[in-house]
Amino acid sequence: MQALLNTGSTINEGKLAKGGNKYSEEYTKECAVCWMCAEDYAILGCPEKVAVISRDGKHMVAVYPKVTEAMMSGHVFIPRSIWANVVVEPDTFSTGSPRYKGSPVTVEPTNEEVLSAEEIVLKLYMGGE
Amino acid sequence: MVYKNIICPVCGGSCDDIQVELKEGSIDVQNACKMGNAKFQEIVSHHRILKPTIRENGKVKDVSWEESLDRAAEILVNAKRPLFFLGSETSCEAQEVGMHIAEYLGGVADSNATICHGPTVMGIQESGMVGATAGQAKNRADMIVYWGVNALESMPRHMSKYGVFPRGYWTKRGRFDRKLVTVDPRVTPTATASDLHMQLNPNTDYELLSALFTILNGKEPHPSVEDITGIPLSVMKQTVEMMKESNFVAIYVGLGVSSSYGKHRNIEIALNFVKEMNNYTKCNIGALRGHCNVAGFNQLASYLYGYPFGVDFMKGYPRYNPGETTTVDLLREKDVDAAFVMSADLVNHIPADCAKYLAEIPMVCVDIAPCPTTTASDVVLPGVIDAMECDGTFYRLDNVPIHFEPFTDSPFSETKSNEETLKMLFEKIKAKKEA
Repeated sequence: MQALLNTGSTINEGKLAKGGNKYSEEYTKECAVCWMCAEDYAILGCPEKVAVISRDGKHMVAVYPKVTEAMMSGHVFIPRSIWANVVVEPDTFSTGSPRYKGSPVTVEPTNEEVLSAEEIVLKLYMGGE
Repeated sequence: MVYKNIICPVCGGSCDDIQVELKEGSIDVQNACKMGNAKFQEIVSHHRILKPTIRENGKVKDVSWEESLDRAAEILVNAKRPLFFLGSETSCEAQEVGMHIAEYLGGVADSNATICHGPTVMGIQESGMVGATAGQAKNRADMIVYWGVNALESMPRHMSKYGVFPRGYWTKRGRFDRKLVTVDPRVTPTATASDLHMQLNPNTDYELLSALFTILNGKEPHPSVEDITGIPLSVMKQTVEMMKESNFVAIYVGLGVSSSYGKHRNIEIALNFVKEMNNYTKCNIGALRGHCNVAGFNQLASYLYGYPFGVDFMKGYPRYNPGETTTVDLLREKDVDAAFVMSADLVNHIPADCAKYLAEIPMVCVDIAPCPTTTASDVVLPGVIDAMECDGTFYRLDNVPIHFEPFTDSPFSETKSNEETLKMLFEKIKAKKEA
């Protein structure tokens, strides 16, 4: 499914980040989540986990789906966090600020493991060091 | 003992009415929001970083302050073009020392603004800004517009302290004397609490603002704008009328405007719309700045070097070219070869390609708790918590400087503040460079 990705704060994301709990399970449960409407969730076949893939297909992150009326069809939201930023595009339109909002992504069902924030750093960014 | 009027060091709101009581192993906090309370608990948390560490042959080990500062200085002195990311959760005084180190080494100085309201600042440079302090808006504004910002979750006390609910001099009945409009593609808690929610399609802020501008000028926008934005023309007209009929309109923009497609051009047209609206009523605009002292870096860098962020000293004088001298672009293009990150979890907040490169190059960080940036760093220096353990200056969201006083001391005998840590580092750097 093609969708436009939005990222941003949630109050619990803020609470956990400011409280120094980015490596907690609670943080993963709050932020490794892709919000979508019920209609889109049904189109995906009601999976337990989804993969969000960047437009160029270079980056993928597995997260849990969350069905909510806050979203319109064709739009998905991931709380501001390391999971969202795996698929945020690094081009800045010459402003310095990457495309945190409104970039096209592909969302599909997956069996991939949902990594913790620490695992993303170690496995994806530090090459398994 | 109860300490009153403590400044909160979490978001740009810089709430100045926090009350804390420090007990044996715990802290009671009054008046802070969920995020603020969590940060105050860091004073007594068990995960606080209390010892400097360095990574050697892939293994992390505790070292003395002397050794860690030595290693940090070595990394930065040996770099051809180090990046200094001087985060916002610390004082202007610490940021100032960081900028001077960047200048001395011919590196680049940048801060959270670059990945936050950088485009907003660029929009202001394009067209100027009709602004107001938070106090003015509180006392005068009878119409509030949150555009592309979920204030209830990103600056939780804004609505109750300045924006919507407080009783102002000209708005004595608080919420009942104010109209609230939210523009957001999501149904956020802020949108739910509003009188009118314009649920626009993502990336259509520019088109919607253009249409409002056209209506304000007495013309009819092209009907296709309804399909593009998802907002009926009648609602656009109603919004413009509501604004014109108000005595004072306060518009707050968030990353929904500055981070969506159009970036600084969205801000530019919003600022021009506000200027035009002042022909009919008083209207001002301001950014809800999510990070604590993010406005401080912009003020300080502009005052010291003439540019608000992304200041490059490579040529021996300050240069500013967003898209070239800004953190994400420098990392994406692999144009820096070492990094110093202070009081910001940079690895967490940048796209994967940039984070991966940042983890590859030597990195020094100053932080208070384990996070992706500390994991990827070669040297970790423990941070002192500003506004709790040391004094200094923050700039609030409306660019008002706020001096803060601590209610306890730094837990380190080696340093009293991040400013002092950076001064020690600067001395080491000078000694190595001149040796």
